[in-house]
Amino acid sequence: MDVQRASDDVRRRTLAGMTQPLRKCIYLASMRDYNSGLYYHDGLADQFSAEVASEALANCHKEAFQDLVNSSLESLVNQFEDYIAASQTPVTGLLAVWARLEPYRVVIPVAADPFAAEFLFSNLKIALAIVEERLTQPRLSKRVA
Amino acid sequence: MIQLILFLGLGAVFLVLLYFFARRKDPKPEGGAQALLQAHHAISSLRTGLLPMDLVDRVFAQDDLNFVISKSGKQVRELFRRERKRMALLWVDQVRRHVSSLREFHSGQSRLYARLNFRTELGLALQFSSLLVLCRVLQAIFYVQGPYSARHVVGPAVSVAGKVCAVSERSLAFLEPTGSDAFRGSAGPHVAA
Repeated sequence: MDVQRASDDVRRRTLAGMTQPLRKCIYLASMRDYNSGLYYHDGLADQFSAEVASEALANCHKEAFQDLVNSSLESLVNQFEDYIAASQTPVTGLLAVWARLEPYRVVIPVAADPFAAEFLFSNLKIALAIVEERLTQPRLSKRVA
Repeated sequence: MIQLILFLGLGAVFLVLLYFFARRKDPKPEGGAQALLQAHHAISSLRTGLLPMDLVDRVFAQDDLNFVISKSGKQVRELFRRERKRMALLWVDQVRRHVSSLREFHSGQSRLYARLNFRTELGLALQFSSLLVLCRVLQAIFYVQGPYSARHVVGPAVSVAGKVCAVSERSLAFLEPTGSDAFRGSAGPHVAA
């Protein structure tokens, strides 16, 4: 019951400003400890408990991941472009790092289904190539617009 | 004399069979927990990971293909075709593996746990066989022509796999503390059954 309330709290407050699943996934993955796989959120832990907060964030992460997997390729490209626009990093540098280090591999929940995860990585790879192509060949961006 | 030769021949056949049974390296104890776990894992993977229609529709989505064809260059189109073919092959391969695992469970273990009547067993055997053949056909088509040429066959395959899962779930219902409904509930609403 507490987990449900805590999950609702995260959806209503923390995630309310994020409309896109990609941003939600990146944000929620950043709340997770790399070693333990547990999620940390001080405000939520104060209000409920550390365990409840972790479980609530994990639930929200699963939901965001499912939405991201079910996003069309066009939507994924748009989400990725919006993410780049909102970040303070130069575009070419960000694209190079994403292509090389594939940081999107850590944005999935621990319990994500392996096939769904692989499908998402494949789609993100394609989306990344599309965004890169649009940057290097503006002619194609005009076709998009 | 002829009777003696026949008896000796039969004896030799039985000896050869005995030898091969004795040589089996990994005899599976009947009712082994390993078989139950594998079957449970196969059902869970199929139900939550491979058969949800939202995901299947996404893998074979025509709108993604249209988007890439109309709005991308040759390199990206090639990348898209390669990646989608890889995913389609991975999908059908995993479905086939899990279905094979379930068939193994049913042919060897399930009768220890579930009393299926002859008609159900026969129907199930037919469904397993047709599904495995269908998976092989899909693999061949995906490999040669890519994922979009056989999209209309994917739906029926998912439907048969859903039915096979449902029967297998009933066989393993005793593993769930509150019965099969609890397990089925975890599959979500969009799974083919």
